[in-house]
Amino acid sequence: MTHARAERMLSALLDNELTADEVTALRAHVAGCEVCRAEFERLSQVKRLLAALPEREPPSSYWTALRTVPVQHAAPVRPAPLDALRAVFRRPAAALAAAAAVVLLVVLPLAKGRVDRLRAAEIGVDVYVHEYALASAYDPFADRAYLGLLIGDAGRTLLGEPRPQPGEPR
Amino acid sequence: MRWRHAVSAVALAALLMAAAPAWPQASSRTLPSAEAVVQAVLDAPALIDYEGTKVMSAVRGDRAQTVTVLESYKRPGKLRLEFLSPESVGARLIVDDGATMWQYEPTLHIVIQGPSFVGGRSTDALRAVVSRYRPRVLGTEEVIGRETVVLALQPRGTGGERRLWVDRATGVVLRTEERDRAGDLAFSAFFTRISYSLNLPSALFRFQPPAGARVFSFYLAGDPVTDVSKVRALAGFAVIAPQTLVTNYTFLYGATAKYGAFSAATVTYGDGVSVLSVFQTPSRRMAFPQAGTVVSLGGGRTGRLLDLGYFRILMWEAGGLRLAAVGLLAPAQLIAIAEELNR
Repeated sequence: MTHARAERMLSALLDNELTADEVTALRAHVAGCEVCRAEFERLSQVKRLLAALPEREPPSSYWTALRTVPVQHAAPVRPAPLDALRAVFRRPAAALAAAAAVVLLVVLPLAKGRVDRLRAAEIGVDVYVHEYALASAYDPFADRAYLGLLIGDAGRTLLGEPRPQPGEPR
Repeated sequence: MRWRHAVSAVALAALLMAAAPAWPQASSRTLPSAEAVVQAVLDAPALIDYEGTKVMSAVRGDRAQTVTVLESYKRPGKLRLEFLSPESVGARLIVDDGATMWQYEPTLHIVIQGPSFVGGRSTDALRAVVSRYRPRVLGTEEVIGRETVVLALQPRGTGGERRLWVDRATGVVLRTEERDRAGDLAFSAFFTRISYSLNLPSALFRFQPPAGARVFSFYLAGDPVTDVSKVRALAGFAVIAPQTLVTNYTFLYGATAKYGAFSAATVTYGDGVSVLSVFQTPSRRMAFPQAGTVVSLGGGRTGRLLDLGYFRILMWEAGGLRLAAVGLLAPAQLIAIAEELNR
């Protein structure tokens, strides 16, 4: 497994999204790669911190108050934006935690989804070649040696290695 | 000592005769029928072992890739390929025991394990070939000192012609040429030497990963299903899968394929000889691939075409899906398929 590929898969390893073979391969790489080990440790720490955040039920008085709000006020009263900003700056630790939570819960999954879409487009063509060459075993006149070459090249590229380029100009 | 040579020669002749192909052994002046030659090619993998050196060339754009490989075949369905040149694939070893394919890349010290690609054929293969293709015998020619029958396979629909130089004594294809619709050579392969019935040792077709090599499993596709509704259930979205495509391709099977961030439903069609696969992925899961060149699909739509010489990939978007049709067909035919699927 290449370093670039391993780096991309660390987050998935942490979230238990990999197959057993991928886990084995990735763990083998991480064991011998200081950069990946450090990155994995960093990601693990973020996950631990998030998991440590307590989940609290709002007090019952909150629900009562919430239900009475529409009755008491024709329109919801919102604090002025400036007041809200001041309130946040009065509690910088809370502001920081809230920002971090937004980043972790909203931005990162969105970014991961975007990265995955781009990655799917990047590797898709090699999967097409790999699977089509395998399907061509149906063809009794297909050259098996050439199918082997195509399957081999695609497999190698999917592992992150550069595709062997065609040789001489025609 | 001379009698020993004589015995060896008789034994070899007996072996070759035992492994004779299905067509009648007429004199070299009488040409066998095209159907008999096709049947001999279909039968050869069950009758003949061989070992030889092959040179393959595929044209891709303005470049040609030429690869030399040592090819060994042992019945039933065992194949060993040792790539000799060019350097980029040199020393690659592929061993297919009929159930599992092993690929060893010595330069990277990695092993890839995947499904076999030396599959068998149904007993109806001849009928399938003849119903979709027009096989013709063009004559005889000598290839590496052996008499061959030149067989031309022209699709009854549209498509390029395939020519095979079939060893008259064994049914093994010694030379292949594939041309596109314009008649330009797209692929060629020929043996520079071949030996038959050597009783190749079974150990040649067994693979043991070298010590310390990293092994990767490449079973990307799930089990194939032959019911379109099951393909849709597996994929979890409305897979486009008509029963026939461009009149002569019929639905064979569907499956799902996954590798890392990529996943797709695959629908595979066959015309009796070649296959055509259509891959489909919801657009929300996959950006549009940037490989290949932009082509017009009609109706103001565009797609991307990647010509890999031996086959072509047409990629486009329709109904919230990224689609890719992969086959031996010419670009115009792939575009016709895209338009058919868009309807």
